[in-house]
Amino acid sequence: MAGEVVIKVEDVWFQYPTGVWALRGVSMEVTRGELIAIIGQNGGGKTTLAKHLNGLLKPTKGRVLIEGLDTRTAPQYEITKRVGYVFQNPSHQIFESTVWDEVAFGPRNLGLSQEEVEKRVKWALSLVGLEGYEKSHPYDLDYGKMKLLTVAAVLSMKPEILVLDEPTTGQDHRGRHILAALCKKLNEEQGMTVIVITHDMRFVAEVAERTILMADGKILLDGLTRQVMTAMGILRKAAIKPPQIAALSNMLNNAGVKINALTVREAVEQFRRVLKKP
Amino acid sequence: MEADTVIQRLDGRAKFIYFLWTSFLAYIFYDYILNIIFIAVTLALAAYAKVFKPIALTLAIIILPWIAIATPILSLPLGFPGNETVIYMIKLAGYEIPIYLEGLGYGITWPLRIAVTISSAMLFYLTTNQARLVAAMVKSRVPFRAIYMVIATLQLIPLLVDEANTIYQAQVSRGLRTDVGVVKKIYYYIALVIPLTLSALNKVQIRAIALESRGFSAPVKKTFLYEAEFRARDYVFFLIMALATAFLAYVYVNFGYSPLAHIKYPKGIWG
Amino acid sequence: MAEPVVIVDHLTYSYPATPNVLVDVTFQVQKGEVLGIIGPNGAGKSTLCKALNGLVPHFYGGRIGGRVIVAGMDTMEHSVAELSTKVGLVFQDPEDQLSGLALTVYEEVAFGLMMLGVPKEEIDHRVREAIKKVGLEGLEQRSPFELSGGQQQRLAIATVLALKPEVLVLDEPTAQLDPIGKFEVFSVITKLAEEGSTIVVVEHEIEELATFTDNILLLDQGRVKAYGSAREVLTMVEKLKSVGVDPPSVTELTHILNKELGLNLEEPITLEEAFKIYSEVLGVA
Repeated sequence: MAGEVVIKVEDVWFQYPTGVWALRGVSMEVTRGELIAIIGQNGGGKTTLAKHLNGLLKPTKGRVLIEGLDTRTAPQYEITKRVGYVFQNPSHQIFESTVWDEVAFGPRNLGLSQEEVEKRVKWALSLVGLEGYEKSHPYDLDYGKMKLLTVAAVLSMKPEILVLDEPTTGQDHRGRHILAALCKKLNEEQGMTVIVITHDMRFVAEVAERTILMADGKILLDGLTRQVMTAMGILRKAAIKPPQIAALSNMLNNAGVKINALTVREAVEQFRRVLKKP
Repeated sequence: MEADTVIQRLDGRAKFIYFLWTSFLAYIFYDYILNIIFIAVTLALAAYAKVFKPIALTLAIIILPWIAIATPILSLPLGFPGNETVIYMIKLAGYEIPIYLEGLGYGITWPLRIAVTISSAMLFYLTTNQARLVAAMVKSRVPFRAIYMVIATLQLIPLLVDEANTIYQAQVSRGLRTDVGVVKKIYYYIALVIPLTLSALNKVQIRAIALESRGFSAPVKKTFLYEAEFRARDYVFFLIMALATAFLAYVYVNFGYSPLAHIKYPKGIWG
Repeated sequence: MAEPVVIVDHLTYSYPATPNVLVDVTFQVQKGEVLGIIGPNGAGKSTLCKALNGLVPHFYGGRIGGRVIVAGMDTMEHSVAELSTKVGLVFQDPEDQLSGLALTVYEEVAFGLMMLGVPKEEIDHRVREAIKKVGLEGLEQRSPFELSGGQQQRLAIATVLALKPEVLVLDEPTAQLDPIGKFEVFSVITKLAEEGSTIVVVEHEIEELATFTDNILLLDQGRVKAYGSAREVLTMVEKLKSVGVDPPSVTELTHILNKELGLNLEEPITLEEAFKIYSEVLGVA
């Protein structure tokens, strides 16, 4: 059901046991089918906020509703079913000796039948492009494939909402492209609501329609990626550099040229128009 | 944050010798009163050095239950091989049960001996910061690699605790639950231990090559920033220990301590 | 001309368990030069860095062919410890490369000097100098574990600078850092470069590399696929893409516009160059 609000974050404040306030009054809504990037410096609250979305952390003040369920009172199990969270470091999750078992861990925990587990594992592996690797040992895979494995291991639980924590850290450019394509596929073909926490501005430009910028536990900007990337003053204050094409657009805009591109492709189209070429 | 009292400023070796000295005397003398004196002194020093709580807590958790459980078992008939001296009779349901001195003594004294060792070892560890510890070990001619292994392990532990937490969260996100049976719990335990172990091994590997790249294996005499040296306060400390030993010897020879001190034991009983 | 600081001559290397990680790699680094090394994961970039300070082959074993000569020393004939005063190697994990023996930033920077038995009087001076070079003054007494990622990486750079190496080698120093951390580290590297340091840096942040490297080496599957000035290599758009490396966005943009629109624009490799070129073309310069 498009337009349905699946996540509601209502004035959430969060304090770590160390006393640090990591979230200071964060409010936002996510509707089904969105693809959102959350950006900002480390310590700004991105990961803390993301961990509230799958119930790993519960608000000190305020509340988080996932498809209507309050994360403070609903059983963790119910939240885990709905929100898949892919951690940054694959080696924090991988422990089985075959790719198959690793991807099957999640659905088995959900108590599904053997048949259903098999179906889901096959489906997840084909989505990420790891068919044929079922019997491989996870550590025989290169880093890029290991990353895809961890995504598959979460996808097999068929969550409706997927959170990816820094998926492109440590990846090369090819890996970034594969993940970008995967995010778009999951969002467009499978209808998943996808939330990506990342530092990679090029990735954001390629993938996210909406971007949220966080700093000091607050949301500084929340809107269309295109608009967020032109808010030069705020970006500068948060020490965030927009992707190079967006930066070029901003500079040309200031000089009077009507360019507003985020990616190379967009820029080519817009320059074609501006240079009055077919 | 570390307190800065005279105890912290004592040379690490002095405190280590204190640990050895108290443990040695506690084992030579089979005497619960002596042990209690040592523990009290150590706790007093700990209180002054502001590390009382962890030591008291450890003793409470380990020693008290031990005494509470061992003493009744050992002091009853057949509880202990050397039981012969009856010191009390319990009247229970028409029966008279004797309480034996030997078992009682054994049940109290052994845990207290261990308590002496634990408390003085903890005092050493908690009041000697890392730099001073390294300096003390270097001065005592401990091989550098051994020193490194001890210190690096200490530094690695908080990092691994953080990792363990993250790994736990990662697996919970995949449906790991705590409300399951024993077999599942063991399986989940493996799901936590394997990533943690691999993570630890990886960290060690990276650290090893970083260290090598900074001359760790250079076959030269290493320079150390701090030198452990005995100062006036350390010598005063040693003097106090020597005097205390003499005093204890005098008191013991002339007066003895507890009733236990005078018992003759059958051969083969370590007491 | 003086001898290059780094000479890599037909270097071929296989780990005990993985063959042909580097195949016939040849390049040089002159004094004061900044060389960037780029390529997909698995290309052998890390291995190449480790070959520069002797970890390859002394720590890892394996089979090595060809020669690596750093500051006149053949890495095959000198231990890693000896080479540590010539090559300063910085890794990508800020926390994991800390010594584990230091309670404070000061002690961490002093660590290498302590390991090499440098006299105490000289240590203080070198530590302070290194700390100043990376901009960590004021943090000497803090625990290294309390620092941010960017600060920790700068600390790692300081720890090797204290040994006064002739070449600084950084293996993906900003991979694990947030934007501010990346900025801090790149600022330090650029500053060192301006002061004349010889630097080899492996990175995926190609748009950053374009702003301060003199030459670039493109590595793929253990082989050198391109080697030349930064401008030469970064404008080889097709070749870069064929091995899975994205050139700087503005370079790629201009390349496509030139091809598809039949223009003949000079291909920029940095944002500043691109702005200049496009504002001229669009008549708003």
